[in-house]
Amino acid sequence: MSVYKHIYRAYDGKVTPVWTRVLVLARYGFAEVWSSKITIGLFTLCLLPPIVFLIGIYLANNPIARALMGFRGPQGLTIDAKFFLTLLEVQSWFVLPLASWVAPRLISFDLADNALPILLSHPISRFGYVLGKFIAIFTSLSFVTWVPCLLLFAYQSYSSPLPWFTANLHIAVGLLAGELIWIALLSILGLAISSWVKWRVMATGAIFAATFVPAGVGGIVTGVLRTKWGFLLNLPFMMTSLWHRLLDAPETFRGDHWLPTEAIAAMLVVACLICVAMLNARIRAREVVRG
Amino acid sequence: MGVIDLNGLEVRLGNRIVLDGLTGSLKGQAIGLLGPNGAGKSTLINTLLGFHAPSKGTASVFGLDSQRDRAQVRGGIGYMPENDSFIGNMSGVRFVRYMAELAGLPAGEALERAHEALFYVGLGEVRYRKVNTYSLGMKQLIKLAQALAQGPKLLILDEPTNGLDPMARQRMIQLIKEIRKQGSVRLLISSHLLRDIDETCDEVLILKDGRIAALCNIEEERRSNRSFMELETVGATERFTVSVQGLGCECACFPGGRIKLVIPDHVEVRDLYVIASEQGVQIRRMNRRRDSLEDIFLRAMDNELVRGGAHVSL
Repeated sequence: MSVYKHIYRAYDGKVTPVWTRVLVLARYGFAEVWSSKITIGLFTLCLLPPIVFLIGIYLANNPIARALMGFRGPQGLTIDAKFFLTLLEVQSWFVLPLASWVAPRLISFDLADNALPILLSHPISRFGYVLGKFIAIFTSLSFVTWVPCLLLFAYQSYSSPLPWFTANLHIAVGLLAGELIWIALLSILGLAISSWVKWRVMATGAIFAATFVPAGVGGIVTGVLRTKWGFLLNLPFMMTSLWHRLLDAPETFRGDHWLPTEAIAAMLVVACLICVAMLNARIRAREVVRG
Repeated sequence: MGVIDLNGLEVRLGNRIVLDGLTGSLKGQAIGLLGPNGAGKSTLINTLLGFHAPSKGTASVFGLDSQRDRAQVRGGIGYMPENDSFIGNMSGVRFVRYMAELAGLPAGEALERAHEALFYVGLGEVRYRKVNTYSLGMKQLIKLAQALAQGPKLLILDEPTNGLDPMARQRMIQLIKEIRKQGSVRLLISSHLLRDIDETCDEVLILKDGRIAALCNIEEERRSNRSFMELETVGATERFTVSVQGLGCECACFPGGRIKLVIPDHVEVRDLYVIASEQGVQIRRMNRRRDSLEDIFLRAMDNELVRGGAHVSL
C-alpha cells in the first residue's frame, strides 16, 4: 500500500506476544546507547585491559615468548586466581564510566520530554519498562565485563599445557558471579539515579558520586566511631572484599577491616531496594498530587 | 455492552475522592468528555488506561476490566495525551514506529504504518526530522499519529486542539471527523472547548466535581428539542393562538405578541405561516430553538442533578 494514500485504515494483522514488548524497549534502548560516539569510545577503552591481560596469558603460556622476555623456569608470570582477580578489579572500575554514561541516555530522554504517559499507555507495565532498560544497559556492560573475562579464562584453559581448566573452574564461576553482581548493581543504580536527574551530564556525575561519596562518609564513620561497620557504606571496599572471596584469592583486608560476607550481601540488597524504591517513585505515567 | 462501562466507579488519590460513584454506559461512536477544570476528566482517562486503580466499582472498556485486563485494554487503545509527551531526540517516523511496536505490531508492519500515519496526519514531509524541532501543532499531530499507527479500537484524545491556531485546529477537527466517519475506531475526546465536542461527538459525558452531571446523546437531545419555538407577532395574537392550538400545538402567550409553542411532529412551519396569513397576523421573528451543547452543559453545571452515581439524561 502506498504511503501517499492519505486514508486511515484499521490494523487487522498479527500482534506480537505481550512479553516481547520488553525486548522492544531493550532494542530501542540499545540503539539509543550505541548511537553515541562517546559510548563507542568508552567501550573501546574498556576493552584495553582484556587485551593487556590476553597478552599476559599468551606470554605466560608460550615458552619462546617467555625466553625472549627473559623469564627462566615457571617463575615470572603466573596465571592464577590473583591474576584474574586483578583483571576483575581493573575491568570493573573501567566499566564504571561506561555505565555512568549509558544509564542516563536510557532514561533521561524519556523523562525530559515527558514520554512516560505515552510509553506506559501501551501494553507495557512499569516493571516491564524498567526491565527493558535494564536489559539494554546490562547487555551493554556484559560485553566488556564477564564476556571478555570468561573468554580469557577459556583462552588460558586452552593455552595451558597443564590440566588447568578443571582445577581452576572456581575462578570462572567467581569471575562470572563477581561481574554479574557488579554490573547488575551498576545498572540498577544508574537507572535509579537517572530517573531522578533529568540532565544527563548531572546524572553521570551523580552516579559517580553515589559510588564514592558514601565511601567517604563510611570512612568518617569508621574513623570517628572506631568501628569497621562504616566500611558498609564503602562500595569499592565491599566489592573488592566480595571479589576476593568469590575467586578464593588471598584477602588483603584482614583484622579490623574484615567484613562478614552476609553483611556485604545484605548491604548490596539494601542498596538495590533503595534503587527500586527510587525507580518506583519516578517511573509513573502520572505524577499524583495527593491531597 | 458499551464502549466504556462505568459501574459505581470511585477513584481516590490520597484522601481525596476524585471520581465519585460514576455509573453509566457510553455507547457512542464519538464520545465527548466535558467538565470544568478538576472535574475528573483526566482521572477518568487515566483510570481507563489502568494508571489509577479504582477504590470502589469498576471501569471497563469493550467489556474488559481496566485494571484486571490492563494489558488487553491498553492494546486496544490509542492514547493522545494532553501535554507534550514524546521522545525529542528521535525522528518522527522512528518515534511513531517505536510506539507501534510497543503496541504489538511486528517491526516491518510498524514501520509501514508509521509512514502511513504520518502522511495521514500531514507530517509526511517532516517525518525524518527530530521531534523536538517540531512546532506545537506538529507535536499535537505526531501524538495523534502515534495513537493511530497501531490501529486502535478506541482512540482517546485528551484536549486534542490545545494550543493550536485556528487553521491547525480546523485541520485537527477535520481529521477527527474523518476518523469517526471511517467507522472502525471509537473516539473518546476530552476537551474544555464545547465547540470541539459539538463538532465531533455524538454522545457527551459531563463531569462535575467527580460526579456525572449529564450523560446524553447530543443528536437525540437536539431532536427532542426541535419542536420548541418562539414567535414574535403583530396583530390578532389571541385568534392566531387558538387556530394554532387547533393544529395540536401547545401555546403560551406573553405580552408584546410573544408566543412560545411546542409543535407536534406532523406540523410544519409552513402551516404557521398559512394561519398567520389567513388571520392577518405578521410574524416578525421566529426562533426555532435547538438545545445546543452549551445549553446542555450549562444546565448540567447549574443543576448537578446526579448524586450517588445515578444516571441522568438531560
